[in-house]
Amino acid sequence: MKRPSLVLRCLVIFYVGALLALPLGFVFQQAFSHGWDQLWAALHNHAMDLAILLTAKVAILAVPLNVLFGVGVSLWIVRHPSKLSRIVDVVIDVPLALSPIIVGLVLELAYAQNGWFGSTFAALGLHVMFSYPAIVMASVFVSLPLVSRQVIPLLREIGDHQEQTAATLGAKPTRIFFTITLRSIAWAAAYGVTLTLARVIGEYGAVLIVSGNIALITQTLTLNIGANFESFNSYQGFVGALLLALVSVLALTVIGVARHRLERKRHGSFV
Amino acid sequence: MAVSYSGVTKSFRGRLVLDGISDVVNEGELTALLGPSGSGKSTLLKIIAGLTPLDSGRVSLAGKDVTNAPARDRHIGFCFQDYAPFRHLSLRENVAYGLKVQRVPRAQRQEQVNELLRLVRLEDYADQYPHQLSGGQRQRMALARALAIKPDVLLLDEPFAALDAQVRGELRSWVRALQQELGITTILVTHDQVEAMEIADRLVILNEGRIEQAGRPAFVYDHPATDFVAAFLGPITSLGGISYRPHELELVAINDTADAFTVRDVVRLGFEVRVVLKADEGTSTWVQLTHDQAKQLNPKVGQRFGVRVRSRVDSSSQSAPSSHETTHGSAT
Repeated sequence: MKRPSLVLRCLVIFYVGALLALPLGFVFQQAFSHGWDQLWAALHNHAMDLAILLTAKVAILAVPLNVLFGVGVSLWIVRHPSKLSRIVDVVIDVPLALSPIIVGLVLELAYAQNGWFGSTFAALGLHVMFSYPAIVMASVFVSLPLVSRQVIPLLREIGDHQEQTAATLGAKPTRIFFTITLRSIAWAAAYGVTLTLARVIGEYGAVLIVSGNIALITQTLTLNIGANFESFNSYQGFVGALLLALVSVLALTVIGVARHRLERKRHGSFV
Repeated sequence: MAVSYSGVTKSFRGRLVLDGISDVVNEGELTALLGPSGSGKSTLLKIIAGLTPLDSGRVSLAGKDVTNAPARDRHIGFCFQDYAPFRHLSLRENVAYGLKVQRVPRAQRQEQVNELLRLVRLEDYADQYPHQLSGGQRQRMALARALAIKPDVLLLDEPFAALDAQVRGELRSWVRALQQELGITTILVTHDQVEAMEIADRLVILNEGRIEQAGRPAFVYDHPATDFVAAFLGPITSLGGISYRPHELELVAINDTADAFTVRDVVRLGFEVRVVLKADEGTSTWVQLTHDQAKQLNPKVGQRFGVRVRSRVDSSSQSAPSSHETTHGSAT
């Protein structure tokens, strides 16, 4: 392939720089602008620490849920195609196309105490809205297709001959699933997990609506950052933003390096 | 009888792929399921393996009915056309898979895998991953993996189709030698009649979900039961409205006993020479000559020759049809 021209390369670097590197660098610069002592103190801000804890608790439930759903629905769509599965294949992308605000509003309409079936839950003493379950629900919703979009193309590409061969060699379905299917899609799923994690800890709009944004109780890290900026405590906000950015960059780096290393070893198993 | 099936019928989305077919495969034989694409031969192979459910009919292995047994209980070695290597496992781990499933102890397993790798001449590649192997090596890996479980029957779906011509030829005779050495009952699917004739003890020719003819390759070639079989197994030419194999006709000097033809074209095909001829009344035919025959007669375009049916000296020594040589459809 021909090397891209110098102009094209400069354009790409400028574009990525202006959109990504510069603002991200600004966050770092601002967070470190008051020195290490101030940063240390800001990291121990009580409201922010509670928000971090809540975000972690949300991620711990939302990410595995999304992986289970993503892998399951991918297998269903690829291996047992039907009219219904084809519809699901399209519908599953809706959360990506929909504004998170809409997602939040729809969830609230459905699950609020006077909502479509929120009233039924309320009668049972379950208050879904403005609580941990609501935040998990919104987080799963907005990241719904992130695992399956990685896994589906890979499942299609590898086909079912490996699984059928394993069957002729005497393997039972569960063994085939764990030794062949899951091993084949592991990296695609792991990449989907990383994207899901980044999305879940970074989600703002949908969570803002369904959580009620109650400081110290239902405030996630993103909501805490937002609240700090709104109350002119922008330094605290930048410190929170720094943490968020670090986690995302770290997650992508870890998965990228691990993938690259194994890819060199057994190139064949990856796309 | 190692493998038998009867009345096997299968439809996909309303299209009949296999139309109630039956056959018996003898112990230790290599049978080629031969037919054009879409004739149902691969579907039949997967039904025998238990990978595709059938609509009706029965399949039995060594006299035991396995129609409803899952693939994992049939003890059949199966190789896909794409070899289906486990891409995340090394060659050694691929071959060991079936032994691990059978819980063969580690030391014994390693010994067996090494032996299999020697058998398929891949011992130097044991720790490579499938993507590092050539097509021929992957094919041998798939064979070793299938043989690891000591299957009663080996099923090969278009085993040489994805290989280039030279490797294909080498591997073909190697697989044949291995099959005879192990004495394992083998069914091989192919659309290549030359391959089938070269490798198989017995041909089963399928067309549109039915068996057109089954029998020894030489017998089927010389005595095709249907026009389809005749045309599919090799070139046919005609003289006086009757079909012949090209080598059955000979070119002679003009005389009373042979029909007179004018040479229209002479095509050199490697060792053989094809002579295209036209009769005065307009019918045309062609004759295949060996290099030596062509040198002797030296046919040129425009020259006139007689064409007649070569006298068959070996007609009495033709192999007699074996007990299960069957023909279906109308004979020509």
